[in-house]
Amino acid sequence: MELGLDVHKVGDHSVVDVKGEIDVYTAPKLREKLIELVSEGSHHVVVNLEGVDFLDSTGLGVLVGALKRVKAHDGSLSLVCTQDKILKIFKITGLTKVFPIHSSVDEAAGGAA
Amino acid sequence: MSIPAGTAYVGIIRLAVASLARTAGFDEERVDDIRIAVSEACTNAVLAHEEAGADQPIKVAWTEAADRVIVQVEDRVGARGADGVSPQDSQGFSTRMVMSVALLQEMADDLTIEPSESGGTTSRLTFSR
Repeated sequence: MELGLDVHKVGDHSVVDVKGEIDVYTAPKLREKLIELVSEGSHHVVVNLEGVDFLDSTGLGVLVGALKRVKAHDGSLSLVCTQDKILKIFKITGLTKVFPIHSSVDEAAGGAA
Repeated sequence: MSIPAGTAYVGIIRLAVASLARTAGFDEERVDDIRIAVSEACTNAVLAHEEAGADQPIKVAWTEAADRVIVQVEDRVGARGADGVSPQDSQGFSTRMVMSVALLQEMADDLTIEPSESGGTTSRLTFSR
């Protein structure tokens, strides 16, 4: 089971396209990538979950941790997600109130192209 | 089923459980609920073993009755609280356990987390059909 992580820039946002399953085995890889981005000075991060088949509490923990890091730099972390089964995870855990969740990368990056 | 207490094995349990749930006649939405809940219970067990440095296997039992399926996940690490919440797991996700229990409670029709006879913790998840 592999987790695909591709990073590209949209305006001043760093967009992380995640592919695969985010679970207890793969979440540390996502955490490392997000820590690396923030430490390199990317404080506006978009995590694109459209290619994610599975997300669990460890993945949520990583996203919450990354949100705290970017906020410490007055930054932002927003998500792209339209899949009902993934949105359900955010709703049940109350995280729809914590993360801005958008339907496209362009929308999440504030329309910047 | 018995799996080594390693994070790489939780995905294998998800595959097995999804297949069992489909065979048992659950629709795809419920298959996904079962997959998520059992994965959470196994994750909690694996992380509890990591935290305790325990290398015994984790047991997952799938039992079918006419009106429900019961999945039991048994670890060998001393009882966590009745709410399943330990202060912090080995990977430092301090809020993870609270979210995990929220997912377990929502996805399963009934959930109990109790000390097992072998001195570990058993999570018992019931899914009505």
